[in-house]
Amino acid sequence: MRSGSKHIERTGALWTMLASSLLAVVSFTTPALSQDVAPFSANPAARQAATAQTPPGESQAVTPDPLAGFNEPMFTFNLKLDDWVLRPVAKGYSFIAPQPVREGVGRFFDNVRVIPRFANNLFQLKLVEASTEVARFGINSTIGLAGFFDPAQELFGLERKPNDFGLTIRYYNIPTGPYVMLPFFGPSTIGDTVGLVADGAMNPMDYLLPTWITLVVSTGQRAAEAVNYRSLHMNQFEEADRYAIDLYGAVQDAYLQTREHEVKKLHEEQW
Amino acid sequence: MTPNSIKQFLRRRAFGIFTLTALLVLSLAPSRFLAPAMADEDPMSVVKTTVNQALDVLRDTSSPLAQRQDKLRQIVAQTFDFKEMAKSALGYHWKELTPAQQQEFTNAFVAFIEDSYLSKINDYRGQQVNFLKVSSDGPQYAQVNTDIIQPNGKDAIHVNYRLLKEDGTWKIYDVTVDAISIIANYRNQFNRVMNSKGYDTLIKDLKAKQAALAASLANH
Repeated sequence: MRSGSKHIERTGALWTMLASSLLAVVSFTTPALSQDVAPFSANPAARQAATAQTPPGESQAVTPDPLAGFNEPMFTFNLKLDDWVLRPVAKGYSFIAPQPVREGVGRFFDNVRVIPRFANNLFQLKLVEASTEVARFGINSTIGLAGFFDPAQELFGLERKPNDFGLTIRYYNIPTGPYVMLPFFGPSTIGDTVGLVADGAMNPMDYLLPTWITLVVSTGQRAAEAVNYRSLHMNQFEEADRYAIDLYGAVQDAYLQTREHEVKKLHEEQW
Repeated sequence: MTPNSIKQFLRRRAFGIFTLTALLVLSLAPSRFLAPAMADEDPMSVVKTTVNQALDVLRDTSSPLAQRQDKLRQIVAQTFDFKEMAKSALGYHWKELTPAQQQEFTNAFVAFIEDSYLSKINDYRGQQVNFLKVSSDGPQYAQVNTDIIQPNGKDAIHVNYRLLKEDGTWKIYDVTVDAISIIANYRNQFNRVMNSKGYDTLIKDLKAKQAALAASLANH
């Protein structure tokens, strides 16, 4: 009974947080909503150009970004956070831990997130993929030494595939809403943010341990994961910035194209 | 001469005149009617030739860097449709520019893209390229899928080339890297700059980035 009420209290708090931050986002960016987006433009020339014949894979359409007023400062914040905290820490860490270890740590974090991947395969009625996830987890947690290695792929040919609740939303052709740059988490959409919360709620430890422990542990885990990931992609922002005219636009488009491709792959595969 | 042989002679002469006229007309016709029949290379061999030529330059570490860069520039110029790429990257803003601005932008974008690829010349670590498949998208368009195999056992990079047929020859108009279209990515960036700051800022930024890339190339 005690734990039950606590749980309700926590989900209630979570929803309040989510709702208020969404409200903040919307009120923050209402002026941006009226910006001139080519396909919906009042200017007939721009509208006509937007529907003109283009080669396959190309489009004249403009990526709508109604939350730009929120996203742009958040992007700057994330870059600064990376510059001042994440990158130096990752640099120090990569000095201590050799690359194979860091790659193993990356696989470990990937392995423990089996439950959301399994569940989302079920949501998409992908029974083979769902059982593949179970098999991968079983193999990698045992002979893969708690997930530090990936014998499931290397020995059994069971491929590692992404799946999450944001992809489930897309899989059923539900619009995932505007692009949003989350502090700490990086590029997302409103739908992917809901997915992030939904997938996060699937951690069984949340229901077994007191809140403060899981909060500390999950924050620590997130931070460790971020540091580990960054240490494996040390030059990613420096590299990207060399070839970008507008880094925000480059990151935004790369994120949206990647998500689009991931869901296309989910539709293509057999089950 | 019998009437029959006269008839035959006339017929032959008529045929001869017909053939001559036909040859004349054909030789005067624009060469593009004949060109496809002679040099109709398929998209796969166009990509294969280009990539293999580029790999040869990358592997040839004995020649001076400047010479290798020049060679790479030539190879790329043969098969990439830079004008189409620049136009496509600018999206619906292309029509807002004057012809002089369009030319200026195309030149700046070509230089920028070239220097981006050239700056990768020293990153080559024995990567291999697998040519996977070609898919047709109507008579005008095709896509060639390739994988870049990394030497250190890392995941392969999926690189696809999008081609269009122009005057009988296949030209590359976009490249996707791990499913991200490079031209679409620049289009989003250019759109943002055009909408918020306009063409003057865009061309200034583009030239500045290209100059930075060129400077780092010269330092190697």
